[in-house]
Amino acid sequence: MFRNNYDNDSVTFSPQGRIFQVEYAAEAVKQGSVVVGIASKTHAVLVAIKRNAEELSSYQKKLFPIDEHVGIAIAGLTSDARVLSNFMKQQCLGHRLTFGRNMPVRSLVDMIGSKAQINTQHYGKRPYGVGLLVAGVDESGPHLFEFQPSGMTEEMVAFAIGARSQMARTYLEKNLAAFAACGREELVRHGLKALKESLVQDKELTVENTSVAIVGLGKDKDGNPKPEPFKVFDGQDVNAWIESVADDKEAAAAEGAEEGMDVDG
Amino acid sequence: MTSIGTGYDLANSIFSPDGRNFQVEYAVKAVENGGTSIGIRCKEGVVLAVEKVVASKLLKPGANKRIATVDRHIGVVYSGMVPDGRHFVDRARDEARSWRDTFKTPIPTADLASRMGGYMQAYTLYQSVRPFGITAIVGGFDSELEAPVDGEVGRGPSVGAGGKNPDKKHGGPFLYMIEPSGLYWGYYGAATGKGRQAAKAELEKLDLKGGADMSLLEAVKEAARIIHVAHDDSNDKEFELEMSWISGADGPTKGRHVEVPKEIREEAERLAKELLQDSSDEDNDKSSDKMEE
Amino acid sequence: MDHRPQAWGRPRDDVYGAYDASYLHSNTPKTATQSPVVTGTSVVGLKFADGVVIAADNLASYGSLARFTDVKRLRVFLDSSVVGFGGDVSDMQYLDRHLNELAIDEAYDHLTPDSSASKTASLNAANLYKYLQKLMYARRNDFDPLWNQILVAGLDGAQKPFLGSVDLRGTSFTSPSLATGYGAMLAQPIMRRVAATEEDAARLTREQAVDVVKECMKVLFYRDARSLDRYSIAVVTKDGIELKEDEQLEKQSWAFAERIRGYGTQTV
Repeated sequence: MFRNNYDNDSVTFSPQGRIFQVEYAAEAVKQGSVVVGIASKTHAVLVAIKRNAEELSSYQKKLFPIDEHVGIAIAGLTSDARVLSNFMKQQCLGHRLTFGRNMPVRSLVDMIGSKAQINTQHYGKRPYGVGLLVAGVDESGPHLFEFQPSGMTEEMVAFAIGARSQMARTYLEKNLAAFAACGREELVRHGLKALKESLVQDKELTVENTSVAIVGLGKDKDGNPKPEPFKVFDGQDVNAWIESVADDKEAAAAEGAEEGMDVDG
Repeated sequence: MTSIGTGYDLANSIFSPDGRNFQVEYAVKAVENGGTSIGIRCKEGVVLAVEKVVASKLLKPGANKRIATVDRHIGVVYSGMVPDGRHFVDRARDEARSWRDTFKTPIPTADLASRMGGYMQAYTLYQSVRPFGITAIVGGFDSELEAPVDGEVGRGPSVGAGGKNPDKKHGGPFLYMIEPSGLYWGYYGAATGKGRQAAKAELEKLDLKGGADMSLLEAVKEAARIIHVAHDDSNDKEFELEMSWISGADGPTKGRHVEVPKEIREEAERLAKELLQDSSDEDNDKSSDKMEE
Repeated sequence: MDHRPQAWGRPRDDVYGAYDASYLHSNTPKTATQSPVVTGTSVVGLKFADGVVIAADNLASYGSLARFTDVKRLRVFLDSSVVGFGGDVSDMQYLDRHLNELAIDEAYDHLTPDSSASKTASLNAANLYKYLQKLMYARRNDFDPLWNQILVAGLDGAQKPFLGSVDLRGTSFTSPSLATGYGAMLAQPIMRRVAATEEDAARLTREQAVDVVKECMKVLFYRDARSLDRYSIAVVTKDGIELKEDEQLEKQSWAFAERIRGYGTQTV
């Protein structure tokens, strides 16, 4: 019934010093559809594949705003993600109220890390069955963090989690050097290309199944720094991006090289 | 794995017939899989260093710190399960703060080590929790000056009650290592994690205990070298070196726990690699000599 | 007779009557701080082109008694802001410890405190002002106010000079020049002569601003009976904080006192 005697709960170490329950929770993340995040010097983007349970049902949302300056992408148990998301929203709001500033993204991520760790050390609790990519901007610029059910949180340049995400990660590793200098459009297209790598055979990016979210450093009318708030794009709003990474367009772009596409707000 | 099973290792806080708590021993195994951490104590202060194995190319270089500040004058580094380490640090910060609230003075390093030792030990006592999967190295520099009281507004009396004795010597550098069992000792040089054996051997060569007065800067260089020595090039992935230090009020960090400045770290790392290169060349020479014989 | 253990050793009710426990249940409402005890007087602050000057004298009074004469009422926060306290000194000490803890918390994520990145990402004066405002207002809503009026001097998120005031009721405002206590009446008009608006303040040089603030401190020492001629003065700019804690008022002239009539023991 069990793989071994040591995997019944999250308070038992295996003789090798592993905690199987936490490792199993990490497997739950791989059940969710893939999400990709990338950060440049000016922006952080999240892109995701949405699934629908059946032909006639709606698509499960994958990207959620937390506060003006932060948002998350989720892979795994959606209801666990909602708990974390509500918590993060409250923290951001509280911080904004008491200090009048955007909550630093690292502090926010550390808090859910600590929260998740508790669940791995006490009997009767279970680890969260969800992984997150957290994208945001604060006074030190754009950031992208990964959150795991173990409570591990790490800042990444780019990352992908969820089903078949290894292919997306391979794409990201290959193009790693390019990201820092990317503008927002370019960053989204890199994200979508990474996403495509993880698609199953003869599945495609469509306006129904693709979500994009962007947050970044921006400027107001007078040229003063003013963050571009975290915004999720769905449906027809993502059409142009999807088309820009369509296979035939890619080939054309390779010929015409760097033509006009890298518009940066 | 020796003598596992027979049911005594399935829950925490259970003694086996020969008096062992297996779950604590397994927690130590988790530590032994983690990147090497070391601490060096010398007269001028304390250096902490850690080998951060780069598990993915996609990690943002230099962004994920593993050495944490607990109070202005105390730092912690750990090997093992990183989320457990973060919990440990959170608790240590709470202890430091509550000490400040009660006594209006910074917590001495020894007292923090004691409190955290007690905290770790408590997690070996109950079936409802598991032990910490980390070994933590706590380094601090207790102020050698007359301790300023938090919230102090004036100079206070210069003579009589409250007058200060200028001759008395207080404080100094301290280094402790706390294991998953809650056991802790003070150290001159401490090492834990995957490469602890090699690191310990190197630390012992330094004669930290004896009269040799190593400067803080030398300690930084040694720390960098030892992390490089302890790193197993053949098996392990690449790593990042992270180092912090704490000096007295008249030293480079003015009594605070801060990251070793980039230039100094890079110089120490360059020297470490050079030394490593030299010694491996020597080995090659020796072996080729033998071949010729 | 009552043989229960809780009655052992107690005066017998049948002899002395039942114990009168009424004093344990007072009918008056719960009261907290009703008035300050040891107090500091005015704090004055003035913005200039690229920073803020703030000053307060070194006296803590016990009523009209000049009780402590070396009390530092300007406090540095995170090497980037200065907080000046008027009002109760023990509440100031409480706040100082509290802000010290806040500063330690804030420094956790900045292992390299001197780097420019960690400086801009830390709590600035505007953030600190907001925090104190919430803190003071929460305390007044508990009917247990911290009896202070506070000036916060530093830079805001856009690195522009910032000066704000918070009081024991949580009332808060910002202005190119601010003063607490007696200073609000005696120093403000002097500062407003040179900096009535933000634009005026933005044209002031550091030297001008320091001179005006020193002039204010002198006038306050002349007219405020709870003041002292030793004071602290700080200048906050992008480059950091210059804090002097043991300054002496210079070039005092008490000639004007000769002309004052109608007080004290004069007979003519």
